[in-house]
Amino acid sequence: MHDILLSISDLNVSYGKKAILRGASYDVRRGECLTLLGANGSGKSTSLNAICGFIKPTSGSVKLMGTELAGLDPHRIFAHGVAQVSQARDLFPDLTVEDNLRLGAMRRGSSTAAQSLATTYQRFPRLADRRKQPTRTLSGGEQQMVAIGRALMSDPLLLLLDEPSGGLSPQLCEEIAQIIDILKAEGVTLLMVEQNLNLAFRAADRFIVLRDGQAVDGGDVAAMAGDHEAIVRNIYL
Amino acid sequence: MLMQLSIAGISQGAIYALIALSLTVIYRSTTIVSFGHGDFVMAGAFLAYILVIGLGFAFLPAGLLAIAAMFAIGIVFSRGLIRPIRGGPHIGLALMSISFGFALRGIARLVWGREVLPMPRVFDVDPIFVGSIIITGDAIFTIGIVAVLLAAFFILLHLTDIGKMVQAVYQSERGARLIGIDVSRFHDFSWGTGAALGAVGGVLIAPVSFLHPDLGASFLIKGFAAMTLGGFGSLGGSVIGGLLLGLAEQYAGAYLNTALIDITAYLLIILVLLIRPRGLFGRKVVIKV
Repeated sequence: MHDILLSISDLNVSYGKKAILRGASYDVRRGECLTLLGANGSGKSTSLNAICGFIKPTSGSVKLMGTELAGLDPHRIFAHGVAQVSQARDLFPDLTVEDNLRLGAMRRGSSTAAQSLATTYQRFPRLADRRKQPTRTLSGGEQQMVAIGRALMSDPLLLLLDEPSGGLSPQLCEEIAQIIDILKAEGVTLLMVEQNLNLAFRAADRFIVLRDGQAVDGGDVAAMAGDHEAIVRNIYL
Repeated sequence: MLMQLSIAGISQGAIYALIALSLTVIYRSTTIVSFGHGDFVMAGAFLAYILVIGLGFAFLPAGLLAIAAMFAIGIVFSRGLIRPIRGGPHIGLALMSISFGFALRGIARLVWGREVLPMPRVFDVDPIFVGSIIITGDAIFTIGIVAVLLAAFFILLHLTDIGKMVQAVYQSERGARLIGIDVSRFHDFSWGTGAALGAVGGVLIAPVSFLHPDLGASFLIKGFAAMTLGGFGSLGGSVIGGLLLGLAEQYAGAYLNTALIDITAYLLIILVLLIRPRGLFGRKVVIKV
């Protein structure tokens, strides 16, 4: 029996009259990296936004270790231990790297935050060199590191990654993959949306395929090794 | 004469700076231009008047109470009237602000009609003579209080964790939500802060000018002119814009025509929008297509 951290049941989300998620159900196991796959409009990012509280589900359940999150405001969901690295990163461009990181730990005590900051600089040594720079002056890859580092500063139970490779060069995608490897090794639970299938299969333990707002397929990435084309066909055909 | 005019201009400009800053605090955090803000200034002045004349309070506690009351009114306004329509058309938010301002003005008119009310002088200290320049007690108090308040405001904003949080929300509301900030509550707090800062302006105006229910309208325009000159959304710019407006009024009135004092703010808005729409410190808007 797997240790379930997040359980999504029959989740329905609409933008106005347009239904995006139509009864999606899936679980995230503690310590794994689960990737959501699907064509554009299948409900991947909407799933993450519904989990975080940016969109209120019309019905269904989002339970984190048995606690219902559906319908809560984003700051309350964050307090339960869910952090998101959004596709747009949503950094504070005029604040320094260090300020951005420290703000991520705002809800924790200052001594714990100081430890987290040291850990974050160990994870991302390049950010230590840039600590006094406004984040708007950083490269895309460095900004992504700040976004991931800021989310980790809250020591989340679950980290949501929305297109972590978005707009990055292949070299930087590899760096992101290595960062995900480190996080997995540290036991961070990850739920990721990723269009770059190479990265998705390289980083994830399991995958779920969403189509028309429902989870239609899923499985272990390792078990599908060598047959990724079958997954791709399932997504797009 | 120039120095004398400059001191009068800075004293008047300090009030404009406060009002422009209070408008900017609300604009930066909520993107709402508070068209009813002049009436917050008026309400602050009248609350101080009621407490001093009606209830016999000393000016200092009366002023502090009036500012605290306006802080509470700003929060209640945000929670009760802005939050419920937040998802609607943006113009609705501005209209709500105007309507609430007019409601405050209407209440003042119900009680005092169009009467012009004098408040006893409280900054009644001997003027200081520096050579041929006279610095009045009013100017000393106004400039001193505004300088201390602005210094505290900007130190809080730039050197404390709370200030960093405020800047974070200003720069990315979604980013702020991602780090667990309750942005709706932050908006309430911003309305409260804006109303309280406006009320400080009102409390400082009360002892040096006559009070009447319509006094907010002219201060609103001065606030807008200062904001325009400083650059929309720039906190520091709004303060500098207010001081420059105060100086411009005095110089224009003394060297050109006294009638210009009343229209300097309007002329300034027109000129700045034509010549440099982003003002002195506003950011250039880049539209990517």
